[in-house]
Amino acid sequence: MNSIWRFGDDARREDAAAWVVRLEAGSLGETEAVAFDAWLSAAPDNANAFDAALAVSHIYAAAGDAVTKALSERRAAPAPVGRRAFLAVGAMAAAAAVAVVVAPDLVSAPKATTYVTAKGERRTVRLADGSTLDLNAGTRLSVTLAHDARRVTLDQGQAVFDVAHDQRRPFLIAAGDRTIRVVGTQFDVRRRAGKLSVTVARGAVEVRPSEGATGQAYRLHPGQRLDHIEGAALTQVVATRAEEVLGWRSGRLVYREQPLGDVVADLNQQFSLPIRIDDPTLAATPISGVLMVDNQDAVIRRLALLVPISTVRSDAGVVLRRAVASGR
Amino acid sequence: MADLGAPPGPTDPLLEIYLERRPNLVRFFAARCGSLTLAEDLAQELYVKLATRDPAVTAENPVALIYRVATNVMLDRARGEARAGARDAAWRRTAHASVGEEDVAEEAPADEAVSSRQRLRQLVEAAADLPPQMQRAFRLHKLEGRSHAETAQVMGISVKSVEKHISAALKTLTARLGR
Repeated sequence: MNSIWRFGDDARREDAAAWVVRLEAGSLGETEAVAFDAWLSAAPDNANAFDAALAVSHIYAAAGDAVTKALSERRAAPAPVGRRAFLAVGAMAAAAAVAVVVAPDLVSAPKATTYVTAKGERRTVRLADGSTLDLNAGTRLSVTLAHDARRVTLDQGQAVFDVAHDQRRPFLIAAGDRTIRVVGTQFDVRRRAGKLSVTVARGAVEVRPSEGATGQAYRLHPGQRLDHIEGAALTQVVATRAEEVLGWRSGRLVYREQPLGDVVADLNQQFSLPIRIDDPTLAATPISGVLMVDNQDAVIRRLALLVPISTVRSDAGVVLRRAVASGR
Repeated sequence: MADLGAPPGPTDPLLEIYLERRPNLVRFFAARCGSLTLAEDLAQELYVKLATRDPAVTAENPVALIYRVATNVMLDRARGEARAGARDAAWRRTAHASVGEEDVAEEAPADEAVSSRQRLRQLVEAAADLPPQMQRAFRLHKLEGRSHAETAQVMGISVKSVEKHISAALKTLTARLGR
Protein backbone atom coordinates (compact mmCIF):
# COMPACT_ATOMS: atom_id res chain seq x y z
CA MET A 1 0.00 0.00 0.00
CA ASN A 2 2.82 2.26 0.87
CA SER A 3 4.41 1.80 -2.54
CA ILE A 4 1.14 2.47 -4.36
CA TRP A 5 0.79 5.73 -2.50
CA ARG A 6 4.32 6.72 -3.39
CA PHE A 7 3.72 5.90 -6.98
CA GLY A 8 0.68 8.17 -7.03
CA ASP A 9 2.70 10.97 -5.51
CA ASP A 10 5.47 10.51 -8.03
CA ALA A 11 3.08 10.53 -10.98
CA ARG A 12 1.46 13.67 -9.64
CA ARG A 13 4.85 15.36 -9.40
CA GLU A 14 5.61 14.31 -12.94
CA ASP A 15 2.33 15.74 -14.22
CA ALA A 16 2.84 18.95 -12.29
CA ALA A 17 6.34 19.47 -13.72
CA ALA A 18 5.09 18.73 -17.23
CA TRP A 19 2.30 21.30 -16.91
CA VAL A 20 4.66 23.96 -15.59
CA VAL A 21 7.07 23.38 -18.47
CA ARG A 22 4.29 23.42 -21.06
CA LEU A 23 2.74 26.60 -19.66
CA GLU A 24 6.06 28.37 -19.44
CA ALA A 25 6.80 27.52 -23.05
CA GLY A 26 3.67 29.50 -23.83
CA SER A 27 2.44 27.14 -26.51
CA LEU A 28 -0.70 26.03 -24.75
CA GLY A 29 -3.76 25.83 -26.98
CA GLU A 30 -7.31 26.23 -25.81
CA THR A 31 -7.95 22.52 -25.52
CA GLU A 32 -4.80 22.07 -23.48
CA ALA A 33 -5.73 24.98 -21.24
CA VAL A 34 -9.05 23.30 -20.52
CA ALA A 35 -7.26 20.01 -19.82
CA PHE A 36 -4.90 21.86 -17.48
CA ASP A 37 -7.85 23.37 -15.62
CA ALA A 38 -9.50 19.96 -15.32
CA TRP A 39 -6.30 18.39 -14.00
CA LEU A 40 -5.92 21.11 -11.37
CA SER A 41 -9.51 20.73 -10.27
CA ALA A 42 -9.39 16.94 -10.17
CA ALA A 43 -7.68 16.81 -6.75
CA PRO A 44 -6.38 19.35 -4.25
CA ASP A 45 -3.08 17.46 -4.26
CA ASN A 46 -2.68 18.21 -7.95
CA ALA A 47 -2.90 21.93 -7.28
CA ASN A 48 -0.40 21.58 -4.43
CA ALA A 49 2.02 19.63 -6.59
CA PHE A 50 1.70 22.30 -9.28
CA ASP A 51 2.38 25.10 -6.80
CA ALA A 52 5.48 23.29 -5.55
CA ALA A 53 6.86 22.75 -9.06
CA LEU A 54 6.08 26.32 -10.08
CA ALA A 55 7.78 27.71 -6.98
CA VAL A 56 10.92 25.69 -7.73
CA SER A 57 10.85 26.87 -11.33
CA HIS A 58 10.52 30.49 -10.25
CA ILE A 59 13.29 30.19 -7.70
CA TYR A 60 15.69 28.82 -10.29
CA ALA A 61 14.67 31.45 -12.84
CA ALA A 62 15.28 34.20 -10.28
CA ALA A 63 18.58 32.73 -9.19
CA GLY A 64 19.66 31.73 -12.68
CA ASP A 65 22.87 33.74 -12.80
CA ALA A 66 23.98 32.80 -9.30
CA VAL A 67 23.29 29.09 -9.83
CA THR A 68 24.98 29.07 -13.24
CA LYS A 69 28.05 30.71 -11.78
CA ALA A 70 28.18 28.31 -8.86
CA LEU A 71 27.77 25.32 -11.16
CA SER A 72 30.68 26.50 -13.31
CA GLU A 73 32.81 27.06 -10.23
CA ARG A 74 31.93 23.65 -8.91
CA ARG A 75 33.12 22.03 -12.07
CA ALA A 76 36.37 23.94 -11.69
CA ALA A 77 36.49 23.25 -7.96
CA PRO A 78 40.12 22.10 -7.52
CA ALA A 79 41.44 25.41 -8.83
CA PRO A 80 42.77 28.05 -6.45
CA VAL A 81 40.39 30.89 -5.64
CA GLY A 82 42.33 33.50 -7.60
CA ARG A 83 41.72 31.79 -10.92
CA ARG A 84 38.00 31.51 -10.60
CA ALA A 85 37.03 34.27 -12.95
CA PHE A 86 39.36 32.98 -15.60
CA LEU A 87 38.04 29.45 -15.26
CA ALA A 88 34.45 30.56 -15.45
CA VAL A 89 35.21 32.20 -18.76
CA GLY A 90 37.09 29.11 -19.86
CA ALA A 91 34.13 26.92 -19.05
CA MET A 92 31.87 29.11 -21.11
CA ALA A 93 34.26 29.08 -24.02
CA ALA A 94 34.39 25.30 -23.81
CA ALA A 95 30.62 25.12 -23.83
CA ALA A 96 30.53 27.33 -26.88
CA ALA A 97 33.09 25.16 -28.63
CA VAL A 98 31.01 22.07 -27.89
CA ALA A 99 27.94 23.81 -29.24
CA VAL A 100 29.71 24.40 -32.53
CA VAL A 101 30.74 20.78 -32.81
CA VAL A 102 27.40 19.42 -31.76
CA ALA A 103 25.40 21.40 -34.33
CA PRO A 104 26.48 19.83 -37.61
CA ASP A 105 25.19 21.06 -40.92
CA LEU A 106 22.49 18.66 -41.89
CA VAL A 107 22.91 18.59 -45.61
CA SER A 108 19.84 16.46 -46.27
CA ALA A 109 17.90 18.20 -49.02
CA PRO A 110 15.02 20.13 -47.46
CA LYS A 111 11.61 19.21 -48.78
CA ALA A 112 8.66 21.52 -49.22
CA THR A 113 5.42 20.45 -47.56
CA THR A 114 2.16 21.96 -48.75
CA TYR A 115 -0.79 22.55 -46.45
CA VAL A 116 -4.27 23.31 -47.77
CA THR A 117 -7.51 24.10 -45.95
CA ALA A 118 -10.93 23.87 -47.55
CA LYS A 119 -13.85 26.22 -47.08
CA GLY A 120 -14.89 26.38 -43.44
CA GLU A 121 -11.84 24.37 -42.37
CA ARG A 122 -9.26 25.59 -39.89
CA ARG A 123 -6.10 23.74 -39.16
CA THR A 124 -3.14 23.95 -36.83
CA VAL A 125 0.23 22.81 -38.15
CA ARG A 126 3.18 22.25 -35.84
CA LEU A 127 6.52 22.46 -37.59
CA ALA A 128 9.59 20.51 -36.59
CA ASP A 129 11.36 23.71 -35.43
CA GLY A 130 8.69 24.32 -32.80
CA SER A 131 6.79 26.96 -34.76
CA THR A 132 3.02 26.75 -35.04
CA LEU A 133 0.89 27.82 -37.98
CA ASP A 134 -2.86 28.29 -37.63
CA LEU A 135 -4.43 28.18 -41.07
CA ASN A 136 -7.74 29.88 -41.68
CA ALA A 137 -10.24 28.51 -44.21
CA GLY A 138 -9.37 28.63 -47.91
CA THR A 139 -5.64 28.78 -47.37
CA ARG A 140 -2.77 27.23 -49.26
CA LEU A 141 0.84 27.49 -48.20
CA SER A 142 4.04 25.47 -48.40
CA VAL A 143 6.85 25.13 -45.90
CA THR A 144 10.53 24.34 -46.38
CA LEU A 145 12.75 23.95 -43.33
CA ALA A 146 16.29 24.33 -44.62
CA HIS A 147 19.38 24.58 -42.46
CA ASP A 148 19.97 28.23 -43.36
CA ALA A 149 16.38 29.46 -43.30
CA ARG A 150 12.78 28.47 -42.74
CA ARG A 151 10.72 29.39 -45.77
CA VAL A 152 6.98 29.62 -46.24
CA THR A 153 5.18 30.54 -49.44
CA LEU A 154 1.68 31.81 -48.88
CA ASP A 155 -0.20 31.20 -52.12
CA GLN A 156 -3.47 32.49 -50.73
CA GLY A 157 -5.46 32.75 -47.55
CA GLN A 158 -4.67 33.67 -43.97
CA ALA A 159 -2.56 32.22 -41.20
CA VAL A 160 -1.23 33.09 -37.78
CA PHE A 161 2.45 32.32 -37.37
CA ASP A 162 3.84 31.61 -33.94
CA VAL A 163 7.49 31.37 -34.78
CA ALA A 164 10.00 29.60 -32.56
CA HIS A 165 12.99 31.76 -31.87
CA ASP A 166 16.02 30.69 -33.87
CA GLN A 167 18.62 33.35 -34.54
CA ARG A 168 20.46 31.27 -37.09
CA ARG A 169 17.53 30.33 -39.25
CA PRO A 170 15.39 33.31 -40.19
CA PHE A 171 11.74 32.61 -40.90
CA LEU A 172 10.83 33.97 -44.32
CA ILE A 173 7.32 34.18 -45.72
CA ALA A 174 6.88 34.96 -49.39
CA ALA A 175 3.46 36.47 -50.07
CA GLY A 176 3.23 37.69 -53.64
CA ASP A 177 5.52 40.65 -54.18
CA ARG A 178 6.36 41.03 -50.50
CA THR A 179 8.57 38.97 -48.23
CA ILE A 180 8.14 38.90 -44.46
CA ARG A 181 11.14 38.21 -42.32
CA VAL A 182 10.89 37.03 -38.74
CA VAL A 183 13.16 36.10 -35.91
CA GLY A 184 10.72 34.89 -33.25
CA THR A 185 7.24 36.24 -32.85
CA GLN A 186 3.53 35.81 -33.40
CA PHE A 187 1.67 37.48 -36.22
CA ASP A 188 -1.08 37.09 -38.78
CA VAL A 189 -0.62 37.14 -42.54
CA ARG A 190 -3.58 37.42 -44.86
CA ARG A 191 -3.41 37.33 -48.63
CA ARG A 192 -6.68 37.39 -50.47
CA ALA A 193 -7.72 38.87 -53.79
CA GLY A 194 -4.45 40.74 -54.31
CA LYS A 195 -4.55 42.36 -50.89
CA LEU A 196 -1.93 41.58 -48.27
CA SER A 197 -2.23 42.34 -44.55
CA VAL A 198 0.35 41.56 -41.88
CA THR A 199 -0.54 42.01 -38.20
CA VAL A 200 1.98 41.55 -35.41
CA ALA A 201 0.94 40.29 -31.96
CA ARG A 202 4.38 39.80 -30.41
CA GLY A 203 7.96 40.49 -31.34
CA ALA A 204 8.78 42.19 -34.61
CA VAL A 205 8.71 41.35 -38.30
CA GLU A 206 10.09 42.96 -41.42
CA VAL A 207 8.08 43.27 -44.60
CA ARG A 208 10.06 44.10 -47.70
CA PRO A 209 9.56 43.90 -51.44
CA SER A 210 10.31 40.45 -52.81
CA GLU A 211 13.08 40.17 -55.36
CA GLY A 212 12.18 42.16 -58.45
CA ALA A 213 9.45 44.17 -56.72
CA THR A 214 9.77 47.79 -55.69
CA GLY A 215 8.74 49.67 -52.60
CA GLN A 216 9.88 50.43 -49.12
CA ALA A 217 10.72 47.96 -46.35
CA TYR A 218 8.93 48.19 -43.02
CA ARG A 219 9.62 46.92 -39.57
CA LEU A 220 6.40 46.13 -37.72
CA HIS A 221 5.92 46.05 -33.97
CA PRO A 222 3.15 44.58 -31.83
CA GLY A 223 -0.20 46.20 -32.50
CA GLN A 224 0.71 47.29 -36.02
CA ARG A 225 -0.85 46.15 -39.26
CA LEU A 226 0.60 46.59 -42.70
CA ASP A 227 -1.75 46.76 -45.69
CA HIS A 228 -0.50 46.39 -49.21
CA ILE A 229 -2.11 45.97 -52.59
CA GLU A 230 -0.09 43.63 -54.75
CA GLY A 231 1.65 45.30 -57.67
CA ALA A 232 1.38 48.72 -56.09
CA ALA A 233 4.38 50.43 -54.52
CA LEU A 234 2.19 51.88 -51.80
CA THR A 235 2.08 50.29 -48.39
CA GLN A 236 0.27 51.54 -45.33
CA VAL A 237 0.96 50.85 -41.66
CA VAL A 238 -1.82 51.40 -39.14
CA ALA A 239 -2.37 50.69 -35.46
CA THR A 240 -4.61 47.72 -34.80
CA ARG A 241 -5.69 45.34 -32.07
CA ALA A 242 -3.73 42.23 -32.86
CA GLU A 243 -5.78 39.94 -30.64
CA GLU A 244 -8.84 40.91 -32.65
CA VAL A 245 -7.20 40.15 -35.96
CA LEU A 246 -6.10 36.80 -34.56
CA GLY A 247 -9.60 36.10 -33.27
CA TRP A 248 -10.57 33.98 -36.26
CA ARG A 249 -8.64 31.11 -34.73
CA SER A 250 -11.33 30.80 -32.11
CA GLY A 251 -14.13 31.36 -34.60
CA ARG A 252 -14.44 35.04 -33.90
CA LEU A 253 -14.21 37.72 -36.57
CA VAL A 254 -13.66 41.21 -35.22
CA TYR A 255 -14.15 44.26 -37.41
CA ARG A 256 -13.57 47.92 -36.88
CA GLU A 257 -14.80 50.18 -39.62
CA GLN A 258 -14.29 47.63 -42.36
CA PRO A 259 -16.26 47.60 -45.59
CA LEU A 260 -19.11 45.11 -45.56
CA GLY A 261 -17.68 43.72 -48.79
CA ASP A 262 -14.52 42.60 -46.99
CA VAL A 263 -16.55 41.03 -44.21
CA VAL A 264 -18.59 39.10 -46.75
CA ALA A 265 -15.39 37.97 -48.49
CA ASP A 266 -14.23 36.56 -45.14
CA LEU A 267 -17.53 34.81 -44.53
CA ASN A 268 -17.42 33.30 -48.00
CA GLN A 269 -14.28 31.44 -46.96
CA GLN A 270 -16.26 29.82 -44.17
CA PHE A 271 -19.49 28.66 -45.82
CA SER A 272 -20.15 26.87 -49.06
CA LEU A 273 -23.27 28.90 -49.93
CA PRO A 274 -21.88 32.20 -51.27
CA ILE A 275 -23.05 35.59 -50.02
CA ARG A 276 -23.21 38.36 -52.63
CA ILE A 277 -23.60 42.11 -52.56
CA ASP A 278 -24.56 43.73 -55.85
CA ASP A 279 -24.95 47.21 -54.45
CA PRO A 280 -21.51 48.91 -54.37
CA THR A 281 -22.63 51.51 -51.82
CA LEU A 282 -23.70 48.75 -49.46
CA ALA A 283 -20.45 46.85 -50.07
CA ALA A 284 -18.50 49.96 -49.08
CA THR A 285 -20.50 50.54 -45.88
CA PRO A 286 -18.08 50.34 -42.95
CA ILE A 287 -19.10 48.05 -40.12
CA SER A 288 -17.74 47.37 -36.63
CA GLY A 289 -18.49 44.40 -34.43
CA VAL A 290 -17.77 40.85 -33.45
CA LEU A 291 -19.12 37.91 -35.41
CA MET A 292 -19.03 34.38 -34.08
CA VAL A 293 -18.64 32.03 -37.00
CA ASP A 294 -20.89 29.06 -36.27
CA ASN A 295 -23.63 28.60 -38.86
CA GLN A 296 -24.36 30.81 -41.80
CA ASP A 297 -27.93 31.76 -40.93
CA ALA A 298 -26.97 32.82 -37.43
CA VAL A 299 -24.02 34.81 -38.74
CA ILE A 300 -26.18 36.66 -41.27
CA ARG A 301 -28.73 37.40 -38.53
CA ARG A 302 -25.95 38.89 -36.38
CA LEU A 303 -24.62 40.82 -39.35
CA ALA A 304 -28.08 42.36 -39.74
CA LEU A 305 -27.71 43.73 -36.22
CA LEU A 306 -24.58 45.59 -37.25
CA VAL A 307 -25.80 46.99 -40.54
CA PRO A 308 -29.38 47.35 -41.81
CA ILE A 309 -29.67 44.66 -44.47
CA SER A 310 -32.27 42.34 -45.83
CA THR A 311 -31.51 39.01 -47.44
CA VAL A 312 -32.74 37.28 -50.54
CA ARG A 313 -32.02 33.56 -50.71
CA SER A 314 -31.78 31.24 -53.66
CA ASP A 315 -29.98 28.01 -54.43
CA ALA A 316 -27.18 30.08 -55.91
CA GLY A 317 -26.55 31.91 -52.68
CA VAL A 318 -27.63 34.75 -50.46
CA VAL A 319 -27.87 38.31 -51.74
CA LEU A 320 -27.59 41.14 -49.26
CA ARG A 321 -29.57 44.31 -49.87
CA ARG A 322 -30.01 47.56 -48.08
CA ALA A 323 -32.95 47.29 -45.72
CA VAL A 324 -35.72 49.74 -46.40
CA ALA A 325 -35.13 52.55 -43.95
CA SER A 326 -37.77 52.35 -41.28
CA GLY A 327 -39.17 55.26 -39.30
CA ARG A 328 -38.15 57.86 -41.86
CA MET B 1 -31.39 45.32 -31.38
CA ALA B 2 -31.50 46.45 -27.79
CA ASP B 3 -29.82 43.28 -26.60
CA LEU B 4 -26.65 44.30 -28.40
CA GLY B 5 -25.74 46.80 -25.76
CA ALA B 6 -27.28 45.02 -22.79
CA PRO B 7 -24.78 44.48 -19.97
CA PRO B 8 -24.43 40.95 -18.56
CA GLY B 9 -26.92 40.32 -15.78
CA PRO B 10 -25.92 40.20 -12.13
CA THR B 11 -25.95 36.40 -12.19
CA ASP B 12 -23.78 35.95 -15.23
CA PRO B 13 -22.99 32.21 -15.32
CA LEU B 14 -19.66 32.92 -16.99
CA LEU B 15 -18.58 35.10 -14.06
CA GLU B 16 -19.62 32.40 -11.63
CA ILE B 17 -17.48 29.89 -13.49
CA TYR B 18 -14.66 32.41 -13.42
CA LEU B 19 -14.92 32.80 -9.64
CA GLU B 20 -14.86 29.03 -9.18
CA ARG B 21 -11.72 28.78 -11.32
CA ARG B 22 -9.96 31.88 -10.13
CA PRO B 23 -7.20 30.02 -8.24
CA ASN B 24 -6.55 27.89 -11.33
CA LEU B 25 -6.41 30.98 -13.51
CA VAL B 26 -3.93 32.65 -11.18
CA ARG B 27 -1.75 29.54 -11.50
CA PHE B 28 -2.12 29.67 -15.26
CA PHE B 29 -1.00 33.31 -15.34
CA ALA B 30 1.78 32.75 -12.81
CA ALA B 31 3.32 30.02 -14.93
CA ARG B 32 2.91 31.98 -18.14
CA CYS B 33 4.31 35.28 -16.90
CA GLY B 34 6.67 34.16 -14.15
CA SER B 35 5.32 36.39 -11.40
CA LEU B 36 2.61 35.86 -8.78
CA THR B 37 1.86 39.54 -8.34
CA LEU B 38 1.45 40.05 -12.05
CA ALA B 39 -0.71 36.91 -12.14
CA GLU B 40 -3.15 38.34 -9.58
CA ASP B 41 -3.24 41.52 -11.57
CA LEU B 42 -4.00 39.70 -14.80
CA ALA B 43 -6.71 37.62 -13.10
CA GLN B 44 -8.41 40.85 -12.05
CA GLU B 45 -8.12 42.26 -15.54
CA LEU B 46 -9.61 39.05 -16.89
CA TYR B 47 -12.60 39.49 -14.60
CA VAL B 48 -13.23 42.98 -15.93
CA LYS B 49 -12.86 41.76 -19.51
CA LEU B 50 -15.37 38.98 -18.92
CA ALA B 51 -17.83 41.22 -17.12
CA THR B 52 -17.78 43.77 -19.93
CA ARG B 53 -17.47 41.35 -22.82
CA ASP B 54 -19.26 41.72 -26.10
CA PRO B 55 -22.53 39.82 -25.74
CA ALA B 56 -22.12 38.55 -29.31
CA VAL B 57 -19.32 36.39 -27.95
CA THR B 58 -21.20 33.28 -26.98
CA ALA B 59 -19.67 30.30 -25.31
CA GLU B 60 -20.28 26.70 -26.12
CA ASN B 61 -17.55 25.79 -23.69
CA PRO B 62 -17.33 28.53 -21.04
CA VAL B 63 -14.07 27.26 -19.54
CA ALA B 64 -12.42 27.34 -22.97
CA LEU B 65 -13.75 30.85 -23.50
CA ILE B 66 -12.33 32.02 -20.18
CA TYR B 67 -8.87 30.66 -21.00
CA ARG B 68 -9.07 32.16 -24.46
CA VAL B 69 -9.82 35.59 -22.99
CA ALA B 70 -7.09 34.98 -20.40
CA THR B 71 -4.59 34.49 -23.22
CA ASN B 72 -5.82 37.69 -24.88
CA VAL B 73 -5.42 39.59 -21.62
CA MET B 74 -1.78 38.50 -21.54
CA LEU B 75 -1.27 39.56 -25.16
CA ASP B 76 -2.80 42.95 -24.32
CA ARG B 77 -0.48 43.34 -21.39
CA ALA B 78 2.54 42.38 -23.43
CA ARG B 79 1.62 44.87 -26.09
CA GLY B 80 1.09 47.60 -23.53
CA GLU B 81 4.51 46.93 -22.10
CA ALA B 82 6.12 46.99 -25.50
CA ARG B 83 4.47 50.30 -26.19
CA ALA B 84 5.48 51.66 -22.80
CA GLY B 85 9.06 51.29 -23.87
CA ALA B 86 9.87 47.85 -22.60
CA ARG B 87 11.64 47.74 -25.98
CA ASP B 88 11.11 45.00 -28.45
CA ALA B 89 12.09 42.48 -25.83
CA ALA B 90 9.99 39.70 -27.26
CA TRP B 91 6.91 38.68 -25.34
CA ARG B 92 8.43 35.31 -24.77
CA ARG B 93 11.26 36.97 -22.93
CA THR B 94 9.03 39.36 -21.04
CA ALA B 95 6.74 36.52 -20.17
CA HIS B 96 9.52 34.28 -19.22
CA ALA B 97 12.32 36.10 -17.56
CA SER B 98 10.45 38.91 -15.90
CA VAL B 99 11.36 37.53 -12.51
CA GLY B 100 14.99 38.16 -13.26
CA GLU B 101 14.40 41.65 -14.61
CA GLU B 102 14.81 44.62 -12.40
CA ASP B 103 11.39 46.16 -12.93
CA VAL B 104 9.60 43.31 -11.21
CA ALA B 105 12.42 41.96 -9.11
CA GLU B 106 11.29 43.78 -6.00
CA GLU B 107 8.17 41.71 -5.82
CA ALA B 108 9.72 38.32 -6.46
CA PRO B 109 9.58 36.33 -3.25
CA ALA B 110 11.98 33.90 -4.93
CA ASP B 111 14.72 36.47 -4.54
CA GLU B 112 14.29 36.57 -0.82
CA ALA B 113 14.35 32.82 -0.65
CA VAL B 114 17.72 32.61 -2.36
CA SER B 115 19.18 35.53 -0.52
CA SER B 116 20.38 33.13 2.07
CA ARG B 117 23.60 31.47 1.02
CA GLN B 118 22.42 28.19 2.36
CA ARG B 119 19.39 28.15 0.12
CA LEU B 120 21.55 28.93 -2.87
CA ARG B 121 23.84 26.07 -1.99
CA GLN B 122 20.86 23.73 -1.86
CA LEU B 123 19.75 24.90 -5.28
CA VAL B 124 23.20 24.43 -6.75
CA GLU B 125 23.68 21.01 -5.20
CA ALA B 126 20.29 19.79 -6.37
CA ALA B 127 21.01 21.01 -9.90
CA ALA B 128 24.53 19.58 -9.89
CA ASP B 129 23.19 16.13 -9.01
CA LEU B 130 20.94 15.98 -12.08
CA PRO B 131 22.04 13.56 -14.82
CA PRO B 132 24.30 15.40 -17.32
CA GLN B 133 21.87 15.81 -20.27
CA MET B 134 19.03 16.80 -17.98
CA GLN B 135 21.25 19.28 -16.20
CA ARG B 136 22.47 20.80 -19.44
CA ALA B 137 18.94 21.27 -20.82
CA PHE B 138 17.78 22.74 -17.52
CA ARG B 139 20.72 25.06 -17.36
CA LEU B 140 20.48 26.32 -20.93
CA HIS B 141 16.76 26.91 -20.66
CA LYS B 142 15.87 27.77 -17.10
CA LEU B 143 19.09 29.33 -15.86
CA GLU B 144 20.42 30.96 -19.02
CA GLY B 145 17.05 31.80 -20.52
CA ARG B 146 17.19 30.08 -23.89
CA SER B 147 13.95 28.97 -25.51
CA HIS B 148 13.21 25.26 -25.95
CA ALA B 149 14.06 25.55 -29.64
CA GLU B 150 17.37 27.27 -28.96
CA THR B 151 18.24 24.73 -26.30
CA ALA B 152 17.43 21.94 -28.72
CA GLN B 153 19.73 23.46 -31.30
CA VAL B 154 22.62 23.96 -28.90
CA MET B 155 22.29 20.38 -27.65
CA GLY B 156 21.63 18.89 -31.07
CA ILE B 157 18.48 17.12 -29.90
CA SER B 158 14.78 17.55 -30.64
CA VAL B 159 12.56 20.12 -28.94
CA LYS B 160 10.51 17.23 -27.59
CA SER B 161 13.58 15.76 -25.89
CA VAL B 162 14.42 19.16 -24.44
CA GLU B 163 10.93 19.41 -22.98
CA LYS B 164 11.28 15.92 -21.52
CA HIS B 165 14.64 16.74 -19.94
CA ILE B 166 13.45 20.02 -18.44
CA SER B 167 10.26 18.45 -17.19
CA ALA B 168 12.15 15.55 -15.58
CA ALA B 169 14.66 17.98 -14.08
CA LEU B 170 11.92 20.10 -12.56
CA LYS B 171 10.23 17.03 -11.15
CA THR B 172 13.46 15.80 -9.54
CA LEU B 173 14.31 19.24 -8.15
CA THR B 174 10.82 19.73 -6.75
CA ALA B 175 10.90 16.33 -5.05
CA ARG B 176 14.24 17.21 -3.50
CA LEU B 177 13.70 20.86 -2.55
CA GLY B 178 9.99 20.76 -1.96
CA ARG B 179 10.07 19.04 1.37
